[in-house]
Amino acid sequence: MPLDTEGRLEGEPLALDQLRGIPVFEGCSEALLKKNLGAVVRRRFRPGEIICREGEFGSTAFYILEGEAEVFLRTPVAHLEGKARVKGLFGGITSFLQSLVRREETRARKGTIPIDAPVDLSLDRPEATLSAGDLFGEMTCMSFYPRSATVRARGEVTVLEMLRNILDLLKRGSKGFKEQLDRAYKERALATHLKAMPLFEGLTDDFIDGLRERVSLVPYEPGKVICKQGDHADRLYLIRIGFVKVSQESPGGEVILKYLHRGDYFGEMGLLGAGKRTATCTALDHVELVEIGQEDFARMMAEFPAIRKGLEETARVHTAENAKRLEQLASVSVDDFLEQGLMQAQSLLLIDLDRCTRCDECVRACAATHDGVTRLIRDGLRFDRYLVPTSCRSCHDPLCMVGCPVGSIRRRDSLEIVIEDWCIGCGLCARNCPYGNINMHGIGGGAGEEGAAGKEGQAEKGGKPAQKAITCDLCAGWKEPTCVYACPHEAALRVDPKEFLIRR
Amino acid sequence: MLLDRSHRPWAILTALLAGVSFLLYAVYASRAPDGPRGGSAPGLAFGIAASVCIGFAALLGARKRRPHYRLGRVATWLKGHLWLGALSLPLVLFHAGFRFGGTLTSVLMGAFLAVYVTGVMGLVLQQFLPRVMTQSLPQETVFEQLDHVREELLAEAEHMVKGEGGAVARPKSAGRVQGRVVESRAAAAEAGPDRNALSLFLERQLRPYFAKDGARRSRLADASARAALFEELRRTVDPALHPVTRDLEALAAQRDQIEMQRRLHLWLHGWLLVHVPLSYAMCFLGAVHALMALYYG
Repeated sequence: MPLDTEGRLEGEPLALDQLRGIPVFEGCSEALLKKNLGAVVRRRFRPGEIICREGEFGSTAFYILEGEAEVFLRTPVAHLEGKARVKGLFGGITSFLQSLVRREETRARKGTIPIDAPVDLSLDRPEATLSAGDLFGEMTCMSFYPRSATVRARGEVTVLEMLRNILDLLKRGSKGFKEQLDRAYKERALATHLKAMPLFEGLTDDFIDGLRERVSLVPYEPGKVICKQGDHADRLYLIRIGFVKVSQESPGGEVILKYLHRGDYFGEMGLLGAGKRTATCTALDHVELVEIGQEDFARMMAEFPAIRKGLEETARVHTAENAKRLEQLASVSVDDFLEQGLMQAQSLLLIDLDRCTRCDECVRACAATHDGVTRLIRDGLRFDRYLVPTSCRSCHDPLCMVGCPVGSIRRRDSLEIVIEDWCIGCGLCARNCPYGNINMHGIGGGAGEEGAAGKEGQAEKGGKPAQKAITCDLCAGWKEPTCVYACPHEAALRVDPKEFLIRR
Repeated sequence: MLLDRSHRPWAILTALLAGVSFLLYAVYASRAPDGPRGGSAPGLAFGIAASVCIGFAALLGARKRRPHYRLGRVATWLKGHLWLGALSLPLVLFHAGFRFGGTLTSVLMGAFLAVYVTGVMGLVLQQFLPRVMTQSLPQETVFEQLDHVREELLAEAEHMVKGEGGAVARPKSAGRVQGRVVESRAAAAEAGPDRNALSLFLERQLRPYFAKDGARRSRLADASARAALFEELRRTVDPALHPVTRDLEALAAQRDQIEMQRRLHLWLHGWLLVHVPLSYAMCFLGAVHALMALYYG
């Protein structure tokens, strides 16, 4: 956020009359506008000029008055690779063959990257256009998350840059502003959001057209309970902005089941089941939800049996997982665990120090599995004769996931926490991890301003060094993590700590 | 690798194979008119069996170079390495008829025995050294980081002596939890007690001790001498600085642990410096022996 020497927003300050001349301010209280005059400025950008950069922190939102801007990810959507890969002829051949497989994977990539703008970016070509009437940077402004994408002026662009008080004022006071945003979302993003979720990709355009008029966009303040466990279930929710905590009551207190972010949905289990909410969902920050009513949901289920089947199957899996988690939590004494947060872990890497010869084969194996970049450091606190190394624990309450501006850190359909290739390297997850188990790793060169349309991944001279977050993904896809598989002394163990301690 | 119950099937199988081999050898040796010879059919069979065992044991090195390949758990390969390696000794002796033979075979036998002995030594060390390290090194760190940690400790000591506060690593214990933690300390007031004695102690005792090879020459390397030196220091400084001297003593003890870790680590891995090159030499000599036997045999 550019500030002048006196801490004011950099740009052209607007007088009250000028503000009132801008249609979106119509209906706003004159007294409130007068009080907040310094909190909004008009800024003009020349073609090619950067309006905001991904990963940077800020506290303002932008509203485009005139012109067009392109929004893109300057950090390449790429797999993190180290330099320790190619060794000798055999290593070279292996590396080449693996790169072919990876290229195939990259080609086959589908889906969208959620960003803090009215549009999502497609995974294979992460760029889009913003035009007059678009608001972006809402989550940065409301909840101080890092910028999720880079925005660059395509031609001459005029924007309003505003602090939160102005954004609040517009959303609550302006007659047309909220309606305009809602309309833009319904017209431009609703279909993308729905179809970005594999379960809903079978929805027809006709059905979505019908939904447009009936869905409602509802804001929730931080901490507000959206639905409570046991309440009557009457709608399905799709997250447009913000993070939602899903939790259940257990004898030991609240158990966090997961965190959801933009593009996720919830509430389907209650609608499919006995009509009661199975969990409590709470807004963690400024959340805006698209609410699909019970009747539309029922119509969807009737018209699209494949979607119904998919939802029922997902609900069944989630119910079983949640029941298992609650059962485990209820069965163990927490005393010794609390000291190191081990209670939080679902899959804990332990090294039996009485067996370990400190050969570091586990670390080398981890690096070999992950393109030369290890996610495991054989150091950390001890519990009894076990070392708890610096490696992801797949926490029950994965705080690392809260706030990711592009939703790249997440759980897929299993336990492991993965950081997807579209990570922009802002480092928020690394700061959020209470156990220091997420590291930032440079990806070589620097991030340029080329964007997806330009030379992907190539650094512009003087560009900021690009980095990505890395964490243990439990060697997703393998039956056993490689660190455990490759330990010659059977000293490395991946355990559910609660079951492990019960056995001991 | 710790020899535990999971080794029982391997041990039984090895003992059985060794027993059967011994019986076969006894029969063969008693019936051979010129005594057992490596070039005879049974002698060759023992030689080939020994080569297979040694060959498999040697493959462990290749397996460890590709730890991420799903070719069986590395621990299983290591168990095979241990027990087939163990079996190779009687097979080699049966092949050679308990004779060393000519120059090449004598050298080969010498290399084989050296590899065998160093391997057994390594296995014995692995039975107790990890446990010793666990018990005596609560602040153990990654071996490659030891020098870095040593430098950090010295920097910490300098901060403490100057009264700039800082952080000190202490072993922490809470229930069964222990490990390295950092305790922050508030900066000392500028106008505090006289720190000259501390500065002198830093320059004369601590700095040389924290130098790369300083642990060998310093009196601080000896626990009782260290306690005495710090006791003497406490007598000379203002009582207000006693907590600082105790922190410095903790740092010196940690320096001691670094040295101890280095020594134990070298014991735990040093035998490999003999075992691995000799294994290569043995494999090479074994191949030469086989070729020469085929050529002249």
